[in-house]
Amino acid sequence: MRELTFTAATREALSEAMDADPRIFVVGEGIGVRGGNFNTTAGLYEKHGPMRLCDTPISERGFVGMCAGAAMTGSRPVVDFMFFDFILDSMGELINQIAKMQYMSSGRLSMPIILRGCIGIGNSSATHHSGNYYPIFAHLPGIRVALPYSPADAKGLFNTALRGDDPVLFLEHKSLLNMKGPVPDGDYAIPFGQANVLRNGTQITVVSMAFMLKKTIEVCDKLAAEGISIELIDPRTVNPLDIDTILTSVHKTGRLLIVDETFAPCGIGAEIAAQVVARGFDDLDAPIARLNGVHTPTPYSPALEAAVVPDNVAIERAIRDLLAE
Amino acid sequence: MPIEIVMPRLGWTMEEGVLAEWVKKDGESVQPGDILFTVESDKALNEVEAFDAGILHIPPDAPAAGTTIPVGGLLAYLLQPGEAHPESALTPSPSHSGRGEQDDLVPSAAPSLSRQLHAPETQSERGRGGEANPTISPRARRIAAELNIAWETLTGSGRTGRIIERDIRAAATQQPAAATIRATPLAKRVADDLGVDLLHLADQIPDRRIERADVEQAARRPTPEPMVNGNRSPLTPMRRITAERMAHSAHTAAPVTLTTEVDATELVRLRKQIKADSGGRGVPSYTDLLVKLCAEALREHPALNARLDGDSIIDSDGVHIGIAVDTERGLLVPVLPDVGGKSVRQIASDSAALIEAARAGKLGADAMRGGTFTITNLGMFEIDAFTPIINLPECAILGVGRIVPKQVVVDADAEKLAIRHMMFLSLTFDHRLVDGATAARFLQRVRQFIAQPYLWLI
Amino acid sequence: MTTAANPTAPAFASDSTLHALDSAAHLALYRGMLVIRRTEEQLARAHQSGFIPGACHTYVGEEAVATGVCAHLDRKDAVFSTHRGHGHALAKGVPPREVAAELFGRATGCSRGRGGSMHLFSPEVGMMGTSGIVGPCILQATGAGYTFKLLNQPQVGVAFFGDGAVNNGAFHEGLNLAAIYGLPVLFICENNMYATEIAFSYATRNTDVGARGALYGIPGVTVDGNDIMAVYAAADEATKRARSGGGPTLIECRTYRTRPHAEGMRDGGYRSLEEVDSWKQRDPIQTYRARLLAADKATADQLTAIENEVKALAEEAIEFAKNSPYPDPATASEHIYHA
Repeated sequence: MRELTFTAATREALSEAMDADPRIFVVGEGIGVRGGNFNTTAGLYEKHGPMRLCDTPISERGFVGMCAGAAMTGSRPVVDFMFFDFILDSMGELINQIAKMQYMSSGRLSMPIILRGCIGIGNSSATHHSGNYYPIFAHLPGIRVALPYSPADAKGLFNTALRGDDPVLFLEHKSLLNMKGPVPDGDYAIPFGQANVLRNGTQITVVSMAFMLKKTIEVCDKLAAEGISIELIDPRTVNPLDIDTILTSVHKTGRLLIVDETFAPCGIGAEIAAQVVARGFDDLDAPIARLNGVHTPTPYSPALEAAVVPDNVAIERAIRDLLAE
Repeated sequence: MPIEIVMPRLGWTMEEGVLAEWVKKDGESVQPGDILFTVESDKALNEVEAFDAGILHIPPDAPAAGTTIPVGGLLAYLLQPGEAHPESALTPSPSHSGRGEQDDLVPSAAPSLSRQLHAPETQSERGRGGEANPTISPRARRIAAELNIAWETLTGSGRTGRIIERDIRAAATQQPAAATIRATPLAKRVADDLGVDLLHLADQIPDRRIERADVEQAARRPTPEPMVNGNRSPLTPMRRITAERMAHSAHTAAPVTLTTEVDATELVRLRKQIKADSGGRGVPSYTDLLVKLCAEALREHPALNARLDGDSIIDSDGVHIGIAVDTERGLLVPVLPDVGGKSVRQIASDSAALIEAARAGKLGADAMRGGTFTITNLGMFEIDAFTPIINLPECAILGVGRIVPKQVVVDADAEKLAIRHMMFLSLTFDHRLVDGATAARFLQRVRQFIAQPYLWLI
Repeated sequence: MTTAANPTAPAFASDSTLHALDSAAHLALYRGMLVIRRTEEQLARAHQSGFIPGACHTYVGEEAVATGVCAHLDRKDAVFSTHRGHGHALAKGVPPREVAAELFGRATGCSRGRGGSMHLFSPEVGMMGTSGIVGPCILQATGAGYTFKLLNQPQVGVAFFGDGAVNNGAFHEGLNLAAIYGLPVLFICENNMYATEIAFSYATRNTDVGARGALYGIPGVTVDGNDIMAVYAAADEATKRARSGGGPTLIECRTYRTRPHAEGMRDGGYRSLEEVDSWKQRDPIQTYRARLLAADKATADQLTAIENEVKALAEEAIEFAKNSPYPDPATASEHIYHA
């Protein structure tokens, strides 16, 4: 199968969708002639021009609110934030308007809007360019939150976002953008709420997401050589969250670890743990464990930055620790 | 201060030793003189005693049993009651960090991250199960209820002594009758008074409720020796793996064994011809020939070549046959990959190499993975038929008996007898995957291939 | 700022419009204002009787703005409004009974009981929603303009908002975006002098909203919001400009709500009774009625007939709401997602 980078995969999905559907347009800072800070729209401006590749002033609340109105009236905006931290300037538009509009109109309005951007700690991005925030968004009804890992998943999930009528937050970990992976030819879409079981195993279930998956896979492969059998699950979307796949796995293994780059309090791991305890209590052979990034703003220095995110050693230790319960 | 437990030097020339087994468990209380663990040095198995008293703390990243550790290498700690675990227990080697060149930039904070972040919370939530009131995981409690195991008296092997699933499973296999003793209340009381083991009695009287008279009668019989005296030696790591695999197979699969006797005269003749023609090259063994013909039969009957994975059956994309090899250290099953496309001679030379490696203890773990079917041949021990245990997750295993000349009826109508080379085949298959008729058809085909080897030579 | 409005739009636009429009157009405008007034009077009464469980922000005194603007719109044009949105919904064509039922929390309400006074939705007639948050409607109308320009459609997006919104970032960002992209949008500021009870003269050092258009490089005008002819004329010019690719317009309509911020709220302290009375004297409906009769654009009988018809319509709306079922509680979490 051909190999594409994560970004090339989403760009291909976007390009194909824009060719097919004239209602789709992209807004963002530098996504026009420049092709996006992360090349998310490279080559599209030449094809579709300034109305469909719409460069904006630094006016996050303004263009998010504008795109809400656009989505309500029949077009299909894609907001490219570059860094997803910037969405925080438009939280009212997102939470009070975009997320609620379909409900408040009793389903008579659609809000087909994609809000995409980079998340994640790394490269000394410092605290305003490294937020994850997806637990905040997973908390809210009315929006979908996709968190792809592989280029193939990125394209499949992006296609679902482009074709659906619901608002979607599409979060792209910056350390994954240039990672290559096989991407199927032809048209396909991956439905939201379907976890991907990356490794089958019997002794312990590990849920991991986004860039943490790369590290977790490395650890799984290392431990597999020792005969440790790990079932590794990527939820792929955290809203909706495919809890059934996790429950099925825990029924088999009895042990659950959630590896998550972002904060533990009120996080995805907490949510998964609560649901597993509620529905799979009698399957648990050990306490549910979480491994999270440190509850702190992101520091800049490489030495500090590395200390706030779980690394392979921490993941391996957490797995062994849970197996020793 | 935590007291460090290290790999001892057991002789002037010893530089490293293999941690054979922990005799004390993590969390167990230790007195001076107690045996802590055993070490396989180059000469023998040694027991290592504790010098100090304390609570044994084996960190999760401590070397596992079977690991070779240099003398002085840290294995565990003895803690005093209430003493905290050492902060970063056994600092892993930097090569584990997976961070490559950034290592020198990052101080030691990162490796102990998970401990720093979450150990405090989870520890305090847990509490310690006191001896009087053992704790049990929800899963273990559910399985205990399913298997009817009284868990209150079990000793837990989880951290802090928690009873976990494996403790229940172990109890269930050790005491299959424990839950099913049927006895009248009076019989129970009398058994208590007279010291009669109801469990033992229930084995002898499986079909009805035990009554007072049964107990009294049993009490008059001489009591059997309660304990087996003799040398006790810990399982070698290999014995332990075999024990676990076999027990797992026996408790997981739904094994059924089919036995049939086959006329192997033509197979014997075939081998003789090959031998005569070998010109000094190695001669394929009967097992090699069986590997080849089973591969052909498996291609025709892929259901026997499939494997079970959770809720699904996976068809294998090739025939990979394991052959059971007896070695000094115990049973090993190296796998001959993709035998379908190989000649008998190729199989013979591959298997010879694998068997030699197995016996020399040089077989890598990879060479024992990925099998889809296993052949075990006990003919050389003059065994006719037996019930082999399936090598999970494979579907079936073929047990091969000795080839022995017998007088057999070759034409019943003509009342004609002849001396033929006969052999028993014992096929154990997993009834979860295939039904009896399917397995029988496969065995029938194998039988045909043995009786008429030219069928698979084409 | 206790004096009357000081419109900058020339008064002759109002007079020439009065003369230019035919009788039927005038009667329609008169009826439009009256529908809002009579419906809201019924709603205020129902609120006092306990039929309306939540908030009720009336538009009494400001009817000329919604009516004068919406006269230029059809159902494909998109209107976005605020918490004081009954008038906009009614002017855009939402039936009074659906507005009443919504405030009553009934299944037959225009938002099926999900919204109440501050969340009126009827996309079928281009009423794209009112909002409990001040500001977003400006951005959303801008977005509607973006859709219409992108898809080459002749419609316009319209935002109605109060003076309370113009010191909010959304006003700045929305007008700027609409200006740089040349979008077909009408920004209608209903300057009723108070944001809840904060006087506009307190909230800004430049109370001339119309003049702010120039800051963004777009036309901005200020009109007497109680003079429907003035509003009508300004909106006519703005919609024509928008539909012909001329971009957005800011129209400040100086007006006044003569009832409290919300029904049941105390209306003292921040404004004087004299001020309220002076604006009641300038009631847009009565003023217009007198001008129609004086200019021979309508007869008293025609107007009385309309008044009777509208009174019955408003009363029927309340009866309809009272007799409507509540929504099925089992549907409380429906329509969050399409898929």
